[in-house]
Formats: sequence, C-alpha cells, structure tokens
Amino acid sequence: MTAFLALLRRDIVVASRNALMLLTASLTQPVLVVLVFGNILPRLHLVSDEFRAVMVPGLMSITMLMAGVQGVLMPLSTDLGGSREVDERLLAPISVLGVSIQKVVAGAIHAGTAGLIALPAMMLLMHKVTGVEVHPRWALLLPGVVLSGLLSASFGLTLGTQVQPRFAGLLFAVVLGPLMLFGCAYYPWMGLAVLGPVKYVFLLNPLVFMSEAMRMAVTPDVPHMPTPLLVGGLVGFTVLFVVLGTRSFARRTIL
Amino acid sequence: MSTSPALVVENLTKTYPAKGKAPAVEAVRGLSFSVEAGEFFGLLGPNGAGKSTTLGCITTLVRPTGGRILVAGVDVVAQPIEARRRLAVVPQTRNLDRDLTVREVLTYHGRYFGLPAAEREARADRLMTELQITEKATSKPLTLSGGMQQRVMIARALMHDPRVLLLDEPTTGLDPQARRQLWELLQGLHKRGVTIILTTHYMEEADRLCQRLAIVDHGRILTLDTPDNLKKSLPGGAILDLVARTPQPLLPTLAALAGVVRSERLEDASGDATKERLRLFVDAGDGLLDRVLSVVKSAGADLDHVSLMAPSLEDVYIHLTGKDLRE
Ligand SMILES: Nc1ncnc2c1ncn2[C@@H]1O[C@H](COP(=O)(O)OP(=O)(O)OP(=O)(O)O)[C@@H](O)[C@H]1O
Ligand SMILES: [Mg+2]
Repeated sequence: MTAFLALLRRDIVVASRNALMLLTASLTQPVLVVLVFGNILPRLHLVSDEFRAVMVPGLMSITMLMAGVQGVLMPLSTDLGGSREVDERLLAPISVLGVSIQKVVAGAIHAGTAGLIALPAMMLLMHKVTGVEVHPRWALLLPGVVLSGLLSASFGLTLGTQVQPRFAGLLFAVVLGPLMLFGCAYYPWMGLAVLGPVKYVFLLNPLVFMSEAMRMAVTPDVPHMPTPLLVGGLVGFTVLFVVLGTRSFARRTIL
Repeated sequence: MSTSPALVVENLTKTYPAKGKAPAVEAVRGLSFSVEAGEFFGLLGPNGAGKSTTLGCITTLVRPTGGRILVAGVDVVAQPIEARRRLAVVPQTRNLDRDLTVREVLTYHGRYFGLPAAEREARADRLMTELQITEKATSKPLTLSGGMQQRVMIARALMHDPRVLLLDEPTTGLDPQARRQLWELLQGLHKRGVTIILTTHYMEEADRLCQRLAIVDHGRILTLDTPDNLKKSLPGGAILDLVARTPQPLLPTLAALAGVVRSERLEDASGDATKERLRLFVDAGDGLLDRVLSVVKSAGADLDHVSLMAPSLEDVYIHLTGKDLRE
C-alpha cells in the first residue's frame, strides 16, 4: 500500500506540474463547442435551449473520456517504450496488478478533475444561462464522476496495452471519434426510442452510460435511462476494462 | 542472520514464446551459479548470450520458464515483492523517470520502498555526494550525459539499501574516462561490502573488477572461475604470436616443437599469401623462443612480429568458443 500511494503521489505531482498543458488539452474542445453551440448559435436562433441542456452533460462525459484515456495512454507509451521506464515501478515492492490499478486510479483522478472543471467553464460560456436548467446534484454527480473516471482510465489502459503507440492517431480517429458521436453526448438515450430497437445497439458504447449519468446528475429535467441500467452499464464496463487492461498490462510488462 | 548466499540460480531456463512469425527463442538454457554475500561476480558474454534475460529473471521482470532463483534466500517467483526489497538493478537501457529531477528520482524511489522522510532525504544527499551528482540535483535526467545518468541509476539502486546490486552492461557507451570512473566507483561499493553482479562484454572490465566470473554463450555457462584460474586453464600458460613472410608454411614445424601445446593459424587481413600469422599456446620454458626463432631462420622466413604474452580473458573466450568476442 505504501508503494501504491507513493506511485500515485508521483503521478499526481507530475500531472499538477503540467496542469496547464493537460487542462488545455482536455478543455479546449468542450469549451469551443459550448462557445459555438451554446452561445453563438442560440443567439442566431439556430439552436434551441433544449439542445443546450442536453449538450452540457454530454460534453462533460466526452471531456472525461478523453482525459481518462489520454491520461493513461500517453504516460504508458513512455513507460512501455524503448527505455521501459515502467521497470522502475515494477521493481517497487508492489504487485504488477497493483501497478496497473494505480495507473487507472491516477487516470481517473485526471479525468474527474477535467470533468469537474469543464462543467462550470461551460456554464460560464453559455449565452443566457437562465434558459437552461443546469442544476448539479452533487450527491449524484460525485459518484458519477468517480465511476466515469475509472471507466475512462481503464479503457485507456486496455487500449494503451493492446494498441501500439504508432497507431494512436488511428485509434483516436476510428475508435474514440465514433464513440463520441454515438455516445449520447448530443442527444439523450431516452430520445432514441424513435429508432426502435436500434437504441439498444447504443448500449455497446461505454460513453452512453457516462453521458446518461452526467445527464441524471446535472440536468434533472431531461429524462435519462433507467437508473439500474445506467449503474449496471457504468460498473459493468469499468469491471470489464479493468480486467482486460490489467491483464494485458501484465502480459506487456513481465516477459 | 542467515548465512544464505546472496544469490542462487539453479537450472534457470527461459524460452521466449513464438510471436507471430518470430520463432520461440531459447534465451537461457540451464544456468546455475551462486554468489556469496560480498562477492563481485561477473557474467561475461557476447550480444544475445542471455545476460539480460538472466538478470531479468533474477529481478522478477522476466518470468523464468524453469529453474529456481533465490535472492538472499527468497524465491523470486514465489515471493517477488520480498525479493525486490533485497535487490536493485541498474538496467542496460537508461530508464530514469524523465518527469522528475535527479534528487526526486532518488527520494521517490525511497518513497516506493517506504523509507521514512528523514532517512530518505539523508540517504539521497549522501548518495548524491558519494556519486558526485550533487550539482545535478535539480536537473532532469534526460539533460545529463550518459555517464551521469549511469551514476544516477546507481544512486537510485542504492537508495533502498539492497543486499544485491545487479548491473547490466553499465559501461557500454561510456567514454574511457567515464568508464574508468565507474570502475572505481564500483570497486568502492564492493569494498564497503555491497554484493555486486555485473554483466559485460568487455574482457578488461571483467578481468579488473570481478572476483569470479561465468563466461556465457547461447544461454549456457561455458566456464566459471576466477579470472586468474580461467587464464591458467588455457593450454600452456602463455601465448606466442608470430607474423612472418615465408616461402614455406611454418606451422607444421612449429607445432611439433617441444613446449608448443597448441597452435593456430590466424586470418591475415592483408590477404598476402606469403604472410603467415600464427598463435602458439606454449609452455614458456627454457629455450622455447630460441627454438622457435631457429625454425623461422632455417625456413628462410622474414620475421615481422613476435610477441610472448600472458593470456588474457579474451584468449580464454576465443579458445572456448572459437570466435572473437568483438566481432
Ligand atoms: N522480449 C524478448 N522476446 C523475444 N526474444 C527475446 C526477448 N528479449 C531477448 N530475446 C532474445 O533472447 C536472446 C538473449 O537476449 P539477451 O538480451 O538476454 O542477451 P544479452 O546477453 O543481454 O545481449 P546484449 O549483450 O545484446 O545485451 C537473444 O537471442 C534475444 O534476441
Ligand atoms: Mg543485454
């Protein structure tokens, strides 16, 4: 446990030194999207208030997904790269599983921080916020953010240990891009009833559960998916990716 | 305190499994050796001999296929965490944490091993002084020269006061001066009682530093002894090299001389067919040189070069493997 906390501390200290860069990387996209879709387009009467209310939790979940995945993926490529910096961690008195779980926790902290900063930043940038019912309910938001962070980070661990760093660009284009578009970030899952049974296909996308959790937590007036399904999806995907990610981490590190 | 050896390796094997088109590699094929506490032990072998794989198995980063390894009495497969507390390694590739300063590299290593703050700080200061890296305390590792990084890695390794220090080719890539400094440093550590296991493919390094060494090739130990005994194990006990231009081959006559135990014709780079390069393993007893010279004279040959020397480890290696380590 000492080694676990020391490794975590190292990651947090290093991340906080690069905080500006990391936050810029995570927040630029959602902030600009809000500026365009939440401020400019509504003034031109091209976007309705309903869309703005739907978009805020969705952008939070996208922010967390990107921050969580990148927060694990980028350090991992130096760790597993030619110089194998990861060996210094693996030589610490801690199990290999402990090292990989620590990576997930560090990534989740990164993701959660980005998500929690994104929310007020987006609200500030909205035109005439009064029209939009954004009411963070902390008792729901905090556990939602924690689970979303763990899900994103363990997804990052799975991707980072299975995909070679040179394919990272491809990964973002063909995996994360579609996940974001079909992640119920810009529309509520309940609204997908119009698609009939196709709406269940969306449940294969982990981001859907993150978006719906944020929706439940910050926009109480917008209907969200049934809570058991929501919690089940978040927990289920987190467990799945933790198992896959830690396994392939062990395979990649202990030869 | 137990008096178990610092390291025991028994019948170690490691086969890297086949991956895609790459076939399985038998990197280590049954190594056994043991190292006493306080000893300076060397693994000498060419590229691909299996040195790093062996060190990887000892340090728990490579899973052995077979065999048993005990570090200060602790089985590295059964109790990897306990084993890690007792060992430290300076890896072949430099792997300092690039996001920390030199001082933090040391103090965080101390944190990982649960050292209390005061001890951690004091030890980092002491090691930085000892390894003469204090002035780089606030630099990032990647801005340092290779020799400096090597010292930082050694300081890091010593932070948790390991029983056994393993170094994987620590002087490869260093300039002669940095290499000499590192040798002195390792000798200093050894005098203080640190058990050191070093891999290298430099003969001189192995000869100078190691009390005992194993020559490894293709994952097997070819021989294991003190450097002196290894050199004495060569036929004869001295080596006579000779280069001559000669109208007729000298080798058969020389090989038949009393005192010549073994003889070889070496390749000559000049490609001059009349030039003969010979290596004789000899018992440098009375009159041997005279007898050799008279053979050369009576054959009507011009002697270009002759030298009589004590064998080096390199000669041992060439003798054992039939190949030059430096190729
Ligand atoms: N991860 C790996 N997967 C497959 N084969 C490997 C792996 N690591 C090493 N090998 C192979 O195992 C053999 C021994 O390699 P090893 O690195 O142990 O040698 P070495 O003695 O340290 O050599 P060097 O002096 O080049 O460092 C080589 O044939 C090498 O190609
Ligand atoms: Mg090696």
